[in-house]
Amino acid sequence: MGNTYPVIRAVAEGSILVEYEEEVSLEVNRKTRQLAFGMEQRPCPGLQEVILTYRSVVVYFDSLVAKEETIRGLIEEVNANLVEIELPPPRLFRIPTTYSPAYGPDLDRVAEHTGLTPDEVIQLFSSQVYPVYFLGFICSLAYLGGVPEALHVPRLSTPRSFVPAGSVGFAGPQANVLPVDSPSGFNYIGCTFVAVYDPNQFPPTLIRPGDYIQCPAVSEEEAKLAGERHLGEFVESFQNT
Amino acid sequence: MRAFKILSPGIQTTIQDQGRHGLIKYGIPKSGAMDQRSFVIANLLLRNPDNAAALETTLPGLKLQALTKITISITGADLDPWVNDQPAPQYTAFTMREGDVLYFKKRKQGLRAYLAVQGGFDVLEVLGSRSTYIRGRIGAPLGAGEALSSCPFDREATEDVLTLPREYRPDFDRADPIRVLMGPQDDYFTPHGIETFLNSTYRISPQADRQGFRTEGPSIEIAKGPGIITDPIPPGSIQVPGDGKPIVLLRDAQVTGGYAKIAIVARVEMDSLGQMLPGGTIRFQRIDRQKALDLLYEETQRRNRIRDLLK
Repeated sequence: MGNTYPVIRAVAEGSILVEYEEEVSLEVNRKTRQLAFGMEQRPCPGLQEVILTYRSVVVYFDSLVAKEETIRGLIEEVNANLVEIELPPPRLFRIPTTYSPAYGPDLDRVAEHTGLTPDEVIQLFSSQVYPVYFLGFICSLAYLGGVPEALHVPRLSTPRSFVPAGSVGFAGPQANVLPVDSPSGFNYIGCTFVAVYDPNQFPPTLIRPGDYIQCPAVSEEEAKLAGERHLGEFVESFQNT
Repeated sequence: MRAFKILSPGIQTTIQDQGRHGLIKYGIPKSGAMDQRSFVIANLLLRNPDNAAALETTLPGLKLQALTKITISITGADLDPWVNDQPAPQYTAFTMREGDVLYFKKRKQGLRAYLAVQGGFDVLEVLGSRSTYIRGRIGAPLGAGEALSSCPFDREATEDVLTLPREYRPDFDRADPIRVLMGPQDDYFTPHGIETFLNSTYRISPQADRQGFRTEGPSIEIAKGPGIITDPIPPGSIQVPGDGKPIVLLRDAQVTGGYAKIAIVARVEMDSLGQMLPGGTIRFQRIDRQKALDLLYEETQRRNRIRDLLK
């Protein structure tokens, strides 16, 4: 079809949607992060908020204050110099996680599906680092990618109506750490007690798009002790190898 | 100042204001009063700042007792409020005496009423707003026995009783369709599917809440799918999952999602959406962006007139 990306178009009265290539990849997601970061350095009357997801960015503006063409012009300008926009250095959050059977309702099913032993599943999952594509859904949920193919398991055919906050799970290439009790169709194999979301602080999470998360295996007792500590105590700079 | 004791919270009563700003990138929706127009009028009647926190109560049932002499206003849905054994005024500031009991008896029109108090309700501000956001563990629906306080009222008290003339009070029994702007993913549906969407009457799910509502009605034919790569959900988005029945997303909705959005409700309609009855019906009418902006401008003018009237 020969689309040239990004596609920039108005949505409803007060937003402009910018779409890069239609795929989930860190290369494409990086462009959304650069555009959002670039836009945030360019305050403009009426511009309200810039939201990024896998491959798209939405710019919200007050249509009684700013003209659509003005916002569109700003987006085009920032996009034209995208490659020069330097993002903040990525960080790695290593969040202690217990994989004790009481917290992993789907561990056996994942083992069966992948042909691995439960210990191998835990070993493989907990040794990986998962890139944060963006924050969204509700309560700062970090959309994590990069689950190794050996662990690709589909979502549950019937989602659970209740999964406790802190649960660590995955489906296909995606993973998450639930910020609050939620319904979910992911496969949960462990749990952390470190709060990844706290509405009484600003920002409500320290995790940023472009960061990485790892869920190293610790005993249940250690995981609970870690839960008394702040998320900020588990962050280090990320060395890309 | 102690203001009220909740005797019964009704189906759901929460504290709301104009909502949170700039937090969608942290996965936190705007929240705030579902009918912002009625909410702001409630504050104007008391000479409160626009954003002073008020109660939003859904359907009748709320019963509360004044703990002191207190000036309040009631706007939004007509839920037939009574003070003791007398009907209470609506869209008019009035004073309750210590011990008076205010009770919302019966739904006559609309869904959500607003109760504002001079100075605004005094609850902790979280992330720049006093709005309850239940799913995000910010505040909680009010419970029986709970006591509410009001903030000090630092503006000059006035002797005139402010009231909003009838012709400016909204009519929530509207039968005309909700106006929408098509897209951003209307190309995920067949022309026949778009026709279905614009020409059908949908029934609003009885489980409708502040996050939004599912609908029952003719299935919209999907051209490609099942979904999109998860992207942002502007408030008022109408998404269509695999069963082809539209879901309308409101102020407490999740901020990102993977279903194609066939249309987005025009901003000028958002307050009316907040007054639509679970189990009631809804139809959709397409307008273009220029029309939506014209309507928004007209509505802003109308609100400015109300503001002038209540000065």
